[in-house]
Amino acid sequence: MVDARAARVRLWDWPVRIVHWSFVALVPGLWLTFRAGNMNLHERLGFVMLGLVLFRIYWGFVGSSTARFASFVKGPVSVATYIRGLFGKAGEPVVGHNALGGWSVVVLLSLLAIQVGLGLFAQDTDGIVSGPLTHYVSYDAADTARDWHELVFNILLVFIGLHLAAILFYAVVKRDNLVADDRRRQAVRRAGRRAQLRAAVASARRGGDQCRRRLLDRDRRAAVVRHCVGERYAAFRAASLPSLSIHSTAAAAWIAVVS
Amino acid sequence: MVRMGKLGLGLSLAALAATGVMAATVGQVIDARQKGYKEIGKSMKAIADELKNSAPSTAVINANAKVIANLAPKVAGWFPKGTGPQAGVKTHAKAEIWQKPADFKKDQADLVVAARQLVTVSATGNLDATKAAVGGLGKTCKACHDSFRAKDD
Repeated sequence: MVDARAARVRLWDWPVRIVHWSFVALVPGLWLTFRAGNMNLHERLGFVMLGLVLFRIYWGFVGSSTARFASFVKGPVSVATYIRGLFGKAGEPVVGHNALGGWSVVVLLSLLAIQVGLGLFAQDTDGIVSGPLTHYVSYDAADTARDWHELVFNILLVFIGLHLAAILFYAVVKRDNLVADDRRRQAVRRAGRRAQLRAAVASARRGGDQCRRRLLDRDRRAAVVRHCVGERYAAFRAASLPSLSIHSTAAAAWIAVVS
Repeated sequence: MVRMGKLGLGLSLAALAATGVMAATVGQVIDARQKGYKEIGKSMKAIADELKNSAPSTAVINANAKVIANLAPKVAGWFPKGTGPQAGVKTHAKAEIWQKPADFKKDQADLVVAARQLVTVSATGNLDATKAAVGGLGKTCKACHDSFRAKDD
């Protein structure tokens, strides 16, 4: 009731979701195409990965609040405080990436960028199959790029494992399902506001006019919040619509270049 | 008797050359083999690099194809017995090379044919046919690697 429209403002915007779940599909896809020896498809998927990584970095500067690096890359003090609080009693769910999770994003995204970058210069044994930019480097450098491409993949697996372990940790120990997205989180926040309102209503019933006035104030404040959220949502829509066409044009150009 | 002895020595040397190499030289054989393959690989890369240019030169491809075509028949001599994985020297050569000599020989012959084919085709200057021949050569490399070369580094 308080902010029905706020529920429509998603915690993670669509580009963030699409990019993330594409990574989930692409990493095993790239591994499988390599194992199957289908290097042609491996290279094509690699281009898709490169495009998505570049887009995600760009989106980290212009995307919605939870997508921006500036909103979730925190300093060592915040990270340390967060880690200390991690094993204490359950606190408020964090909206967006928490101080530690933010660094997980930075590490995973960096590893993907390094990995896809190495792939551009890597060649297989005896130079039979080679990445699209190998002609800019020597035979030995292309061999080294391949060795690192293997090494970084294994490092990536370690961090993906850590990422999954963290989700499991939050689900089991912290009882906070990070995957079942923001709906629950929004519900938690709504429930918190509803409880505040109920408390106000209850105190208004107990008390006299003074409390009623406070209740009215609260209602008015809620209306202001509702209004602001609506405004922000409208602004987000307005800002994302023209940029949607820019981004789809960029995506089409990217597909045209790599295919 | 003397002549018989010399003949015997000659025979045993020939047998040694045919069946294996002395332990001290195993490392040298493997080293020379790897250098040989690296030569082939470098020529292969030079060909692939050329194909990545906007206007690839078939002459450059032809020159590198000749290097491969010259080395290809030598591959048969790069795998004396005793230079496999049991040699104690780091090598990707699989034991199958000596277990399936007929298959290995066929792969070598395919390489020789494909390399010569590329030399012939690239000499005509036809880029599309040259690309196809490069693909054919790459396939023979891969076929042999898949069967006879250990994957992990």
